[in-house]
Amino acid sequence: MKKFPLVAVPVLLFTVLIVFLFQGLFSDPRELDSQATGKPLPDFSLPDLMQPDTSYGPDDLTGKVRILNVWGVWCVTCAVELPYLTKLSREQDVTFVGLYFDQDLDPDFGTKTLSRVQQEVTDMLSRYGNPYAFNIFDVYRDMSLDLGVTGAPEHFVIDAEGIIRMHHIGDINERVWNNKIGPLYNRLRQQNRSLEAAE
Amino acid sequence: MKHVLLMLLALLLSSHVTASEDNYAFDDPNTRAQFLRLTEELRCPMCQNQNIADSNAMIAHDMRRKVYALLKEGKSEQQVIDYMKARYGDFVHYQPPVTAATLWLWAIPFAFIVVAMSVVLIRRRTTVDDDNIEEKLAKADAMLKQEKE
Repeated sequence: MKKFPLVAVPVLLFTVLIVFLFQGLFSDPRELDSQATGKPLPDFSLPDLMQPDTSYGPDDLTGKVRILNVWGVWCVTCAVELPYLTKLSREQDVTFVGLYFDQDLDPDFGTKTLSRVQQEVTDMLSRYGNPYAFNIFDVYRDMSLDLGVTGAPEHFVIDAEGIIRMHHIGDINERVWNNKIGPLYNRLRQQNRSLEAAE
Repeated sequence: MKHVLLMLLALLLSSHVTASEDNYAFDDPNTRAQFLRLTEELRCPMCQNQNIADSNAMIAHDMRRKVYALLKEGKSEQQVIDYMKARYGDFVHYQPPVTAATLWLWAIPFAFIVVAMSVVLIRRRTTVDDDNIEEKLAKADAMLKQEKE
């Protein structure tokens, strides 16, 4: 009887350790808690990818629920998700805005011309579908840095007030849309519509 | 064989050379030292086990450029770290902050020492506390004697 607790101590410690390590097997080290969620969009002033004379700011992303999609032609997963995004925009009226940045267009040692980038974008969108209302061109990749983007594709759900509600790292496919992004997007859109109807 | 060993040794010794190839010009050697320190301390969010000095990912490249720009603006080292933390979280700095969740990293080793010490002390006290030791010694002597016979 007196010996029982002493034996239990290592067993208990071992159990705790095993539970801790076992959880580690299923945790994803790539999953970072985004700092952008819940915050308004950072201030920016960037040109349209296709019409460089048009410029956009945070105000152009309010008044409607949108999904900001960080992408580039060099990104393979982006090409894979383009047909599904196009389907969403056609069938469910989801608004996508592209935040485009180029990998080869080095701001310090420009190697690629803008018209070349535009050509590549046009080619890719005509091949896989164009879900975008418009594309913002993140010339120096500053906006991506401010948003905490680590690569492409990444998605930000932005509500009608311009607040970032979700930061999704990775592509949107049917599973991700139905389980993660779709419910939030539809709820936000519903809220916005009832607000507009009340006014 | 000797050459292979030498080459291996050379490889080991060269491990500290970083991959960054950009050229950033500094007027002040202090700022340069700050830049080198910061790019070693900041962690690349894309390739997670590398610092941004070592990584060739685009994001690391952009972060180096940003660190350089911020230092040029006259920002302090802490300000640059805070700037990156505001965007990429505590994750981005190799020195974790002490919070309720990370406190255990420092507390557990000390707790372990305290527990181990107290176990040792308690054990010792209970064995010393043996009052019929004389009796047992006599018994042991008797047993030894018996064996000799």
